[in-house]
Amino acid sequence: MDCKKGKTVPANTTSAIESRQTGNRVVTAGIIAIVSILMIAAVLLFISLPDANAFNARVEQLFVENDTLTGNAEIKLLEILAQSGTAFSDTLSSYRFVIFVLLVFSTALLVAAIAFLVMLIAMNRRMGQIERKGIEVNSLLISRDQNTVYLNNFEFKLTEAAIETLSVLAEARMDDEVLSGSEIEGVISGRPSADCDEAAGATRIKRLRDSLGNQMMSELLVKNIARRGYMLAIDKDVIRMV
Amino acid sequence: MKYFLLSMTILFLAATAAQAACYADYKAKQDDPLRLHYGVALIEGDCTVENAETELTERLAVDDWQMLNVLEVFDEDGLQEREDSAGEYYLRY
Repeated sequence: MDCKKGKTVPANTTSAIESRQTGNRVVTAGIIAIVSILMIAAVLLFISLPDANAFNARVEQLFVENDTLTGNAEIKLLEILAQSGTAFSDTLSSYRFVIFVLLVFSTALLVAAIAFLVMLIAMNRRMGQIERKGIEVNSLLISRDQNTVYLNNFEFKLTEAAIETLSVLAEARMDDEVLSGSEIEGVISGRPSADCDEAAGATRIKRLRDSLGNQMMSELLVKNIARRGYMLAIDKDVIRMV
Repeated sequence: MKYFLLSMTILFLAATAAQAACYADYKAKQDDPLRLHYGVALIEGDCTVENAETELTERLAVDDWQMLNVLEVFDEDGLQEREDSAGEYYLRY
């Protein structure tokens, strides 16, 4: 086998692990960003809040600058002012603590929020993949001139007869009709359905089922990579031997 | 005699000038909790604001008072008007 010949086909699979890794990176970056922003906010908060001694300094300045403020009563008044200021600065420091607690809370909440957001995105992506990969059909496209049918995103090549059967069934489904074997045979062959054999229609259905089921199973389970070989199209983590 | 009288007068004047006591009024504070006081004190050295400041800073520090500023220096004539304001700190330090 010549491995160097030609380019390797890029894998068209998306590993769940890969998206989990990028998700983890995003989560880590987001959490670091949030924590650092809130840390900066906390530091700024502690810096910008007035110093507990600010009131005292102000009163002292008043006292020094005014030479007439020398009476006993005036000095007492100034001291009372300073004391009430100190009491207020105690309140301020308790506010500061409350604000800090709230900051910690908001950090926790934001971290949780970003983690959940990323998880949600990853979940959505996985759900999309599951929907596309699963048996549930959410798109059916019949290309009659190429004898192909696209189920979800899988391409299946069918024989002309099988495509004909599928088209008839699809048209009937769109009109919410149920066709019997003889009716199917009648539509395809162009004869009145009363003249047609029920078994002939059943054979057409059987052929369609065989061909489509075969290909579907091969696409879902055993993948054929062009010029390289075969591979099970499943995640290696889910395999277990008993 | 005339010279003697003159010299005596000069001597007497010099003596009274030397005896004229020097006082200063000042402002001081204590921290935690903030306490303030205005006081009057006797200054022993030169009768200048600078000298009063250095002297009072030392004397007040003994009782944990921190000198803020000296308003002015004066002699006995100024004492009377400041006695009321200084209260318990009148000539205490």
